Amino acid sequence: MTKKHSVLLKEDKCEGCTNCVKGCPTKAIRVHQGKAWIKEDLCIDCAECIRVCEYHAKYTEPDQLTEIMETSEYPVLLIPPSFYSQFSAEISSEKIKKAIENLGFKAVFDVADAAAALSRKTLDFLNNHSGSYISTSCPVIVRLIKIQFPDLIEMLIPLKSPVELIAERVVRKFKEEKNIDPDIFFLTPCPAKLTTVNRSIGQQSSFLSGAIGVENIYQEIYEALNEVELEELEDKLITLATIWGSEGGEESILKSWQDINTISVSGVKEAKKLLNEIERNNIPEEVKYFEITSCINGCIGGVLNVINPFQAQFNLEQRIKKIRDTMQKYNIESEKKDDEFYNFALSEKIKADNVSKLDSDFKKAMQKLELLQKEIDKLPGLDCAACGAPDCKTFAEDVINGRANRADCIFMLRKQLGKLADDLSILAHELPPVMASKEEEADDS
Amino acid sequence: MFLQKQQILNKEIESFDFQSGGEASSNLKNILNKLGVPSQIVRKTAIITYELEMNVVIHSLGGEITALISEDELEIRVDDSGPGIKDLDKAFTVGYSTASNEIREMGFGAGMGLVNVKRYADQIDVKSSKENGTHVKVIISLANKE
Repeated sequence: MTKKHSVLLKEDKCEGCTNCVKGCPTKAIRVHQGKAWIKEDLCIDCAECIRVCEYHAKYTEPDQLTEIMETSEYPVLLIPPSFYSQFSAEISSEKIKKAIENLGFKAVFDVADAAAALSRKTLDFLNNHSGSYISTSCPVIVRLIKIQFPDLIEMLIPLKSPVELIAERVVRKFKEEKNIDPDIFFLTPCPAKLTTVNRSIGQQSSFLSGAIGVENIYQEIYEALNEVELEELEDKLITLATIWGSEGGEESILKSWQDINTISVSGVKEAKKLLNEIERNNIPEEVKYFEITSCINGCIGGVLNVINPFQAQFNLEQRIKKIRDTMQKYNIESEKKDDEFYNFALSEKIKADNVSKLDSDFKKAMQKLELLQKEIDKLPGLDCAACGAPDCKTFAEDVINGRANRADCIFMLRKQLGKLADDLSILAHELPPVMASKEEEADDS
Repeated sequence: MFLQKQQILNKEIESFDFQSGGEASSNLKNILNKLGVPSQIVRKTAIITYELEMNVVIHSLGGEITALISEDELEIRVDDSGPGIKDLDKAFTVGYSTASNEIREMGFGAGMGLVNVKRYADQIDVKSSKENGTHVKVIISLANKE
């Protein structure tokens, strides 16, 4: 199964309204034949359409627990820091992990460990490189840059995301220590991470075998929690990097070690605004690092999560507080020792997806640009979306690219009809010469 | 092959209109991406256009920005109606700015405007007088296209 994207359309539920069309940050959706189709080359898996659809017609298809258990011999699950926001801090991380293991996973690992290591590597990288960099951890932001801000690709820090880091490490660990080929699954809060299983960023292929959505397994975990015998397992989640799950998490980890200038932003709309300002050099040069996440509040705001993001934020903060106390109690230094087990560097360059090009031939593109301007001038500029495109400019582009018909615009259609009616009326009153004299005779009598 | 440059953007810029300041550079960026111009050139253009645009917003009585393109080069013209740059040489000095404290508080007026434009442009020509305003012509070469 090599789907390009993870956000899909349930045709029978789609009413053909244009809410998602309007809400899509990359203008990737068009309503055709009453259904809101996603254009794959433009989709960045941000899930805004899932959030905005009142009919729940947009969905994502992660792996199912039962299927994993039936097909995989050695399933291993990776848990993101944001997942702990789905539980009260009273429930220890060890207990949660035990419950997950009881569902049939052979082992469970914390992505937070890799996040902590990555933060150390990031700081090291920033201290040894001039210029400013953008975090590569949110796959939606990477894709947004690839298609809308290709000139900023060079600013993406060439380091793997925490999930990929730990996935690779776990695969190697099992192979070396036990000669086992595990299937690594990720417990994902968002469809975008699901997409990276098939289309990984900056490396040939992902070490993940699949991903399972938080919402698809939450109830099972909750039930399994009741059956975990050991009532109060000691909390071994001692990395502060657990805070990665929320907005500004990465930034706060970096700042806990060094006074470094960073900007953090969450939400895809804000992300676009920030990237715009970065692009035109309208951000002070002293800012070394940008942490940008597509979901509001960071990963805890992912659409596949179950708990509302406000409560999730609270839960995570409570857990961080607990971790801080534990760290003091045991006086545990940061776990720098195992950084060498990670392979941080991206093996391939991240490439631009120039999807806005009108034509690969410059002259033809110029001609199309001219046509486009003429087409835009003809349209009403109301951006009503009744044509199925998000706004008049996008519709005009669809028309000149042969993907839409000018008469799909109801105003253009009305104009055409009006003209047709006028022509018809003129035609109706114009009589052929032989008839004309007869009519006159009739009038005379 | 057409050597004739074609106009791809023309926009009026009003004095102190911070709301729409930046629109010309965004529009131009979108157009260049549609034309398949390499991304490094798009970035340069975005920076140059934004600087020039904001100069008009901050320092002038208003003006307009025009962009023309041929296969070989991109030309950006920014014309305002005054009051002109008093000391043109100084305007190209790092850190030199005539911006008011208010403007500086908004994060502008670091004295990097024309310095940055010169850094990224392949050619720059500035004419300025009190009577006729300031006229900037920037050329960005597209020669090393992919």
